[in-house]
Amino acid sequence: MVEEKIVCIGCPLGCETTLKMDDQGEVVKITGTKCKEGRKYVLEEHRSPVRVFTATVLTQNSVRPLLPVRTNRPLLKTQLKEAAKVLSKVKVQPPLRMGQIILPNLMNIGVDVVATDDLVL
Amino acid sequence: MKFSEVDVAVIGSGPAGMAAAIKAREEGAEHVLILERQEQLGGLLHQCVHSGFGLLYFGQDLTGPEYAHRFIEKVRDLGIEILLETMVTQLSGDRKLTAINRYEGMIHLHPKSVVLAMGCRERSRGQLSIPGTRPAGIFTAGTAQRLVNVEGFIPGKKVVILGSGDIGMIMARRLTLEGVEVKAVIEILPYVGGLIRNEVQCLHDFDIPLLLEHTVTQIHGEQRVEAVTIAKVDKHKRPIDGTEQVVECDTLLLSVGLIPENELSRMAGITLDPLIGGPLVDERRETSVPGVFAGGNVVHVHDIVDDVSWEAEIAGSWAAKFSQKGDLERKEKITLKPGRNIRSIVPQTISGQSDVTFYIRVKEMEEKVQLKVGDLYQRSFRVAKPSEMIKVDLPVKELKKLDGRESELNVECEKGE
Repeated sequence: MVEEKIVCIGCPLGCETTLKMDDQGEVVKITGTKCKEGRKYVLEEHRSPVRVFTATVLTQNSVRPLLPVRTNRPLLKTQLKEAAKVLSKVKVQPPLRMGQIILPNLMNIGVDVVATDDLVL
Repeated sequence: MKFSEVDVAVIGSGPAGMAAAIKAREEGAEHVLILERQEQLGGLLHQCVHSGFGLLYFGQDLTGPEYAHRFIEKVRDLGIEILLETMVTQLSGDRKLTAINRYEGMIHLHPKSVVLAMGCRERSRGQLSIPGTRPAGIFTAGTAQRLVNVEGFIPGKKVVILGSGDIGMIMARRLTLEGVEVKAVIEILPYVGGLIRNEVQCLHDFDIPLLLEHTVTQIHGEQRVEAVTIAKVDKHKRPIDGTEQVVECDTLLLSVGLIPENELSRMAGITLDPLIGGPLVDERRETSVPGVFAGGNVVHVHDIVDDVSWEAEIAGSWAAKFSQKGDLERKEKITLKPGRNIRSIVPQTISGQSDVTFYIRVKEMEEKVQLKVGDLYQRSFRVAKPSEMIKVDLPVKELKKLDGRESELNVECEKGE
């Protein structure tokens, strides 16, 4: 049987939980949770752990050296480092508005990178 | 606007200052003025490019700049006056303000009321007394955050982070994603200083070692940091002989706590809470000086920005009323007494005549507790932790149960079932 340990972030308690999977990868047992929401969270975190991805990109012809950005949808936990690598090579120019797409279809996964601030000058 | 006509002056334009100014304007104060020392509104939000802001206030997961943006637009829509690159240098006990900038020179103001929203500062190496040399490469986590997220510099290649505050953990993730090797996060306490979600998403996600009950006992290097010595500590936080190990690094980040920034408050003769470092306030967030209100991290350091803005709105609202009426109705105040396992309570006094929002911090982590505010309020918690502040809203009708003779109200965390 395969095990996975997940810390629940649903509340300050931070329960350390253990999921047990059968040979088909189905979760058969969850231990360590203390509430229903916790069980829901750890199941979700087990199936597809996603994270909001934020970063900065370099600018050109701007008084500001950097522009903060984010993806318009969360990424899988395993995609974060690759996303950071891709964005380290991106350069943007003013004018840009908050919410504007600065890089469409990041890593061909159908997620866009958008500006989280205006870049006026 | 003539400066002589200011109704409410707000010092600082971070998440507290902007929220206070907006509220004051919405509550009818005509001339609201924000004084901000940086070149833009928003304070520290601009360097907090990560998300997690506004989940409670807006019901949306925003980054720092996005959170700031929403308030900035409202400030502009409401016609709130703004002085940027303007440093307030003096505040007196009769609400006279002196500020300075390179356009107007010295500015003298006598606003009808004032909101303090200066936020807080990071504790630095000098306040920790770490032995060793004094090389380059030692930064507070917030300074590193500014360098990396705003100015575009990476502070080093191999980093050790002392303290597990939220900014430290967030920087651990940020630096890792920028290709820096984060060797470890070192925490002297047996638990993490920041929020649990940051421990999971910033440290666990990237396999960054977290060493609890450890501290840095020595910094090595002449020109630049070359290594730090770390050691395990006993329950009195004293390093244990024989547990030392040297960790090679070129940078040490400090994420060891924040202190409310109150030079101006002291100048005005405002009484400060010796434990928290911010002004003593009542439920209106009025300080000991009539007409001077305070909200956000200048009062006490919050865990999340949403609470900073909410608290500052209380200050802004009462500052507007004060500016309209010339004073507020005053009653004998009831003092909140921290009882069992309570470290701090804000506000420290209440009048019993208006709604109260309490922010309470416990001393020690405890499971299954009952929080009690006198006989007025009680709530069960699965766990109470010093790193997660408890917010309690008590509407004025609940306070009517007070018979008017109390001068003290006990707040305590009882061990429950």
